Amino acid sequence: MTREGPAWLAELQARFGAAIRTPLDRSSGTLAATEAAYDPRLVELLQGGRGVGAAGRLAVYNRQYWFRLFEALQDAFPLTMRLLGAWTFNGHAARFVLAHPPRGWDLDRVPHGFEAFLEAELERDAAPDRAALVESARLDAAWRAVFRAPGTRPFRPSAADASRLLEARLLPSPAVELVVEHWPLLELRRKVMAERAERRVPLPPPLPRARSWALVRTDEAIGQLPLEDREAELLALLRTAPVREALARLEQACAPGEREELPARARGWLARSVQLGFWIGTA
Amino acid sequence: MSSSALPRDALGVGLRLPHHPYLLEHWPEIGYLEIISENFLGDARPPRQKLARLAARYPIVLHGVGLNLLGHAPLDEAYLDSLCRLADDVDAPFVTDHLCWTGAHGVSHHDLLPTPYLPELVEWTAERAAHVQRRLGRPFGIENLSSYVAFRSSTFTEWEFYAEVLRRSGCWALLDVNNIYVSSQNHGFDPDAYLAAIDFSRVLQVHLAGHTIQPDGLRIDTHDHPVAAEVWALYARAWKLGGPFPTLLEWDAHIPPLPDVLAELEKAKQVRA
Repeated sequence: MTREGPAWLAELQARFGAAIRTPLDRSSGTLAATEAAYDPRLVELLQGGRGVGAAGRLAVYNRQYWFRLFEALQDAFPLTMRLLGAWTFNGHAARFVLAHPPRGWDLDRVPHGFEAFLEAELERDAAPDRAALVESARLDAAWRAVFRAPGTRPFRPSAADASRLLEARLLPSPAVELVVEHWPLLELRRKVMAERAERRVPLPPPLPRARSWALVRTDEAIGQLPLEDREAELLALLRTAPVREALARLEQACAPGEREELPARARGWLARSVQLGFWIGTA
Repeated sequence: MSSSALPRDALGVGLRLPHHPYLLEHWPEIGYLEIISENFLGDARPPRQKLARLAARYPIVLHGVGLNLLGHAPLDEAYLDSLCRLADDVDAPFVTDHLCWTGAHGVSHHDLLPTPYLPELVEWTAERAAHVQRRLGRPFGIENLSSYVAFRSSTFTEWEFYAEVLRRSGCWALLDVNNIYVSSQNHGFDPDAYLAAIDFSRVLQVHLAGHTIQPDGLRIDTHDHPVAAEVWALYARAWKLGGPFPTLLEWDAHIPPLPDVLAELEKAKQVRA
């Protein structure tokens, strides 16, 4: 263990930190540092000169703090940023950062929880297109979760496992996420990722019917696998319930005409999910 | 591996995401790669897999931005645990971070922030740096900052403070020539006085990068341009004073294709001649 620094250093760093976390002013239509808002006791401790005063110098760090965090959030939510446009997105991002300032060395953790925060803000503001924006934020978050997932070994059931599998609950791989889209958002995400621009893109018309996907990390990339509706339902049920119960609940949800073919189809879906590494073990 | 594993005149580049495809396809001749440690400390598997492939072909050195050496709180031992594991994984010849603080009172600012340069901070900083080097079990280099503010209370110059911390800690220098130049212009000191204070036998490597000049005249360490002519000139003087030393080019924004980055790095050979 290393020692604490002197008390005056802790106090100085508290004041300095507060200054550089001062929100940027949006009233002029650009993001500007508000030098007058800095603690004058801190500014007095700093050396100005060469045409730039102490507060003007502090403003460099103030801007850098915010722009770095905006960039981290934009990188994590690229589709949502483009659907909102950078200006509006950054407004949400600023409020999120004020509520949840960065807590550790990992800049990549800063966006954690932004999708839920945004959903609450959009709901509060009764924002137009909020259902699509919420779906977009969830999709960006799912993509990020799959990318960040640690390496795990896929579950390959042995003969002994097979006999007790029905009573077991499958443990989902962190490198697989199930998503549903009511707008063609995954396709739009690919497009905006290739552009690396900030301007707002229009929301495409809704799909005639919802589509389900599994986002699956392969060795060094993320693939998207289309799922049949019932397959998606089963995979979602398997994440929370033992296999026998999940199958029973799926059967209940099916129309009588579907039930006859369901056992064979469910076996196929289950086998495919095991083969593609959707599970890492049983509980 | 020890610091001697890198040839003293090695030329390297900072590994950045847009360059991965080119590197993994063409495997260009590069003396070594420097990674931002924090980009590889997390659990995410794809970056680690790519890094393993690159580490099999190139020496990899670690450059951190999250140590918080001058933060008031005790160093984060869990962070150091992860850093040690990463250094072991890539068999890093050395590990570096900055003479700065990044976070305080539980909030991280993800920036490299200065402190006053006072005698009473020297021993404390040196103790912490020595602790890091012991934990790593390999050379630990400390980089000088680009800064935009200075404190009235400082009684040391930055280079006096830096040299003293290095001397007392037994750690090494990562001398960033662009940072010396940027800070010299922002604060009005002689960059050659800075160089004169450096014990070049303790320099692990030298960094080069581009910077930007704001409308108000402040120079910002943006790493988004080619190296400025004045910085190349300062690098030439550093080489004359203390070369050879491994030299690395950083490019972090508006990143050009890797061949262009390598062409910029190649200029170092002409400058040294």
